[in-house]
Amino acid sequence: MATTLAWFILLLPLLGGIVLASWPGEPPRAVTRLIGIGSIATAFVLALVIFFTMLGNAPSDRTFVSGLYQWISIGGTSLDLSVLVDPLSIMMVLIITGVGMLIHVFSAEYMEHDRDYRRFFAEMNLFVFSMLLLVLAGNFFFLIVGWAFVGLASYLLIGFWYERPSAVAAAKKAFVMNVIGDVGLVLGAFLIMRELGTLDYQQAFARAGDLGQNSGTALAVCLLLFVGAAAKSAQIPLHTWLPDAMEGPTPVSALIHAATMVTAGVYLIVRCHAIFQMSELAGDIIAVIGALTLLMAATVALQQVDIKRVLAWSTVSQIGYMIMGAGLGAYSAAMFHLLMHAFFKACLFLAAGIVIHALHDEQSLDRMGNLRKYLRVAYFGMGMGCLAIAGFPGFDAFFSKDDILATSLAAGPVGVFCWVVGVIGAFITAVYMFRLLFRAFWGPDPKGGYAHAPHASGWWMAVPVSILGVLSLVAGWIQVPFGWSGINDWLAPVLADVKNPLEPTHAGEWLTIGFSTAAALGGIALAWWLFAADPERRIRLANVARGPRQLMDNAYDFDRAYDDLFVEPGRELGTVLLDDVEPAGPKGLITGTTAVIRDTARVISASENGLVRTYAFGIVAGLALAGVVLAIVVAGAS
Amino acid sequence: MAEQVTFAIAAIGALGFGIGVVFFRDAFRAAVSLIGTLLAVALLFIVLEAPFVAALQVIVYAGAIVVMFLFVIAYLGDRPIVPGTDRMDAVQPVAWIALAGVAAFGAITVLASAIGPEHSVSDTNVGSPASIGHAFLNQHIIAFEVTSLIMLIAAVGAVILAKRAVMLEGGR
Amino acid sequence: MTVPISAYLMLSVGLLVLGMLGVIRRRNPLLLLLSIELMLNAGNVALIGFSRQWNDPSGQIFALVVMVVAAAEVVIGLGLTVAVFRSRMNLDVDEMSSMKG
Repeated sequence: MATTLAWFILLLPLLGGIVLASWPGEPPRAVTRLIGIGSIATAFVLALVIFFTMLGNAPSDRTFVSGLYQWISIGGTSLDLSVLVDPLSIMMVLIITGVGMLIHVFSAEYMEHDRDYRRFFAEMNLFVFSMLLLVLAGNFFFLIVGWAFVGLASYLLIGFWYERPSAVAAAKKAFVMNVIGDVGLVLGAFLIMRELGTLDYQQAFARAGDLGQNSGTALAVCLLLFVGAAAKSAQIPLHTWLPDAMEGPTPVSALIHAATMVTAGVYLIVRCHAIFQMSELAGDIIAVIGALTLLMAATVALQQVDIKRVLAWSTVSQIGYMIMGAGLGAYSAAMFHLLMHAFFKACLFLAAGIVIHALHDEQSLDRMGNLRKYLRVAYFGMGMGCLAIAGFPGFDAFFSKDDILATSLAAGPVGVFCWVVGVIGAFITAVYMFRLLFRAFWGPDPKGGYAHAPHASGWWMAVPVSILGVLSLVAGWIQVPFGWSGINDWLAPVLADVKNPLEPTHAGEWLTIGFSTAAALGGIALAWWLFAADPERRIRLANVARGPRQLMDNAYDFDRAYDDLFVEPGRELGTVLLDDVEPAGPKGLITGTTAVIRDTARVISASENGLVRTYAFGIVAGLALAGVVLAIVVAGAS
Repeated sequence: MAEQVTFAIAAIGALGFGIGVVFFRDAFRAAVSLIGTLLAVALLFIVLEAPFVAALQVIVYAGAIVVMFLFVIAYLGDRPIVPGTDRMDAVQPVAWIALAGVAAFGAITVLASAIGPEHSVSDTNVGSPASIGHAFLNQHIIAFEVTSLIMLIAAVGAVILAKRAVMLEGGR
Repeated sequence: MTVPISAYLMLSVGLLVLGMLGVIRRRNPLLLLLSIELMLNAGNVALIGFSRQWNDPSGQIFALVVMVVAAAEVVIGLGLTVAVFRSRMNLDVDEMSSMKG
C-alpha cells in the first residue's frame, strides 16, 4: 500500500506540471493555483499517510520496495523502474512536499503580478516531481534521471525571467556546473556497476564490501559520487552558481536553493553511506571540503549587500555543515540539520520575499531599514529564522548544528579540525544573519525614506511564513542531547549497517553546547554593536580591514579564476575552430569539392565557343584520330 | 580505254574546281568553280552508267542550288572580311595535319580493303529512269515519302524565314 | 568497268578532304555552305560507284535522296544567312558566337 501511494506521490506533481505546461492559452488564475498547489498538497497528504503507516509498523518493517516494470536486463542484472520507500526517503519526501506546499501557497500571491503565472507553476511542479524521483528512486539509474531533471528544472526556474540577460547567464552557469556534477555521478555509477555488478540500491549496498576497505577503487567511487554531490550542493569548487541563481524569483530560491535541491548532495552521501564508509580517506576529504566551504561562505556573506545573496551564501555555508557531518560519518546528524535548515532557510527566504514584494523588487540592504514597523509578519519570520540559524539556545539549529559538531568531535583529528571550523563558522553565521536583521528591520528608515510605505502582505504570503517561523522555533526539540533522539531513532533502520557508528561523548556534548552558545550570543552581540546600537558605526568602520574585505566581497575571486581557466580558453577554442579549422576542414571540403567541379566545368565549357568552324575542326580532328587508331590496330593485327 | 581517259579528265576537273571552291577569295568565282565541279561529277556519273542521276545532278544541283547561291551572293554583296581576326589562326597547322591524317586514313582504308570482284558485265538498265522509278516505288517507298516531306518542310521553313526577313526590313 | 572502284573512292576521299578544308578555312557563311556541297558530292560519287559495282539501283536512289536533302539544307541555310547577316556589315561566321557555352 505504501508503495502504491508512493507512485501516486510521484505521479501527481508530474501530471500537474504536464497539464499546466500544455494548457492552451492562459487558464484563470484560480485554476492554475488549484492544479499547481493542489498536486503538491495532495502529495503531502499521501506522504503523511505513508509516514503514519510506517510509524505503526515495527522499526525493522519500514522499508518497502516496489518495481513498476523491468527497464533493461543486461548480463545477470536487471534495471527496474523502482521506488524505495524507507525512513530516509520518506523524510525527504515530507520535506519536499510539505515545505514545497507552503512555498507554492506563498507564490500564489508573490507571483500575482507576473505574466507567466501558469508557466511558473508548471515548472515548479515539474521540479517537485524531479526531486521526488531523485529521493524515491530505488536504484542509481533513476537517481541519475531525477538528478538530471532537477538540474533542468533549476535551469528553467533560474532563467524564469528570460528577458533578463543576467538571469539567462545565471541559469546557464548553474546548468553547466550541474552537468559537471552529473558527469562525476554517472562515472561513479559506472564504477559501481562494474565493481558490484548492480545498480539497485539494496543489492549494491549489501555488496559494498566488495569494493575493498580503503582501496583505490572505493576512493575513486566515493570521490566521483562526491563530485556530483558537490555540484548539486554548491560546495567548493563548484559553488559559484548558487549566489548567481538568486536571479530567479524568490520562491524558487526558497524551494530549490534552500530547502530541497541543494540538499540532494547530502541525501546522496547519506543514502550511499555503505559505499562511503569503504573509504575513510574520501570521508575525510569530503568533511574538510565541507568545513572550508562553510567558513569561506560565511565570510563572504558578511560583505553582501543584496538580501538574497546573503541568504544564498548562508545556504552554501549551512550545507557545508551537513556535508562535513556526512563526510565524517555523522549521518543522522547531517539529516537532522537538513530538516532544520529546510524550515528556517525557507522561512528566511519567504520573509525576504515579503520584503522584496513590499518594496517593489528592491533587494539591496542599503535601501532598507526600520521594516519592523511596516512588515510585522516578515519581521517575525526573519527573526525566528535568524535566531534559529544562529543557534540560539532552544531554536532549531541549536540542536542540529550542535549534533553535528558534537558528533564530529568523536571522529578523530579530522573531526576536531572540523569542530573548530564549525564553531568559528557559527560565530560568523550569527554575525552576518543579525547584520541582515538589524540593517533591514531595525534602525531608521533608509536615506531618502521609502517612496511609498511598504505594503503588508496578504494571507497567502503571511501564513506560510508564520508556519515556517513557528517550525524554526519548535522543530528542534525533536532531538535533544541527553534526552531523546527522534531523528536518530527514525533513521536507525536505514543506518543499521554503519560499521563504526559515531556517538558523541558526554564531555564532547557539553563542550559543544558551551562553545556554540558562546559563539551564537557573541555573534549576536557583535552584530548588535556594529549595526543596531549606532547605525552610523558601520560607515565609520568602513575602511577597517579593507584588503580582506575586498577579497570576501569578490567571493575570493573564484569567478574570475574560472573565467581565466575555463571560459576564456573555451571561447578561444571556439574562435579558432570557427576561423581556422572549419574553413580548412568540413567547410573547406565542401567548398573545395564545389570549386573543383566548377573549375572543371569552366575548362570543359571553353570548347563550346559558339564558332561553327571550331566545331567542324573538332569533327575533322576526331576523324583523323580515329583513323590513326584504326591504322595502328590494323597494322598490329596483320 | 575511253572510260579511263574520261575518268581521268573528270577526276582532275573535279579536284581542280574543288580547289577553286576552297581557295578563291571572291565568292562569285568560288560559286562558279562549284559549277565546274558539279559538271565534272555529272560526267563521272555518266561514265558510271547512271544517266538519270547525272541529268538530275546538272538540273538540280548546278541549275538550281548554285543559282540560289549566286542570287544570295548578289543580294548580300561581297563584304570584306577583316583580316587578322581569324579565330582559327592558332590551330591552322593542326588543322592541316588533321586533314592530311583524314586523307591518309581514307586512302589506307580504300587500298587496304578488298572490295569484291569487279563486274565486267554491267546491267545498263540499272541507271535508267524506269529502273530507278521501280526501285523508288517498290523497295524504297518510305524514303520516297520522307524525302517529299523534307522538301515540304524546307519550303515552309523558307517561307517563314522570308517573312522574318521582310519584317526586319520594316514591311509586313 | 575498267577503272577500279578504288579509284573512284580515292576521288571521293579527295573531294571530302577538300570540302573539310573549305569548311575550316572559310569565314564567309555562303562559301562555308559551298564547301559542304562539295562534301556531299563526294558522298554521291562513292554511292554511284558502288551502285555500278553491285548493279544495285539502291545506290542511285540514295544519291538522289542526298541531293534532295542537300537542296533542302541549302534553302534553309541561305534563308538563315540572309536573315542573320542582312543587318550586319560583315559576312563573318566568327561573329556569330551567341551559342557560346
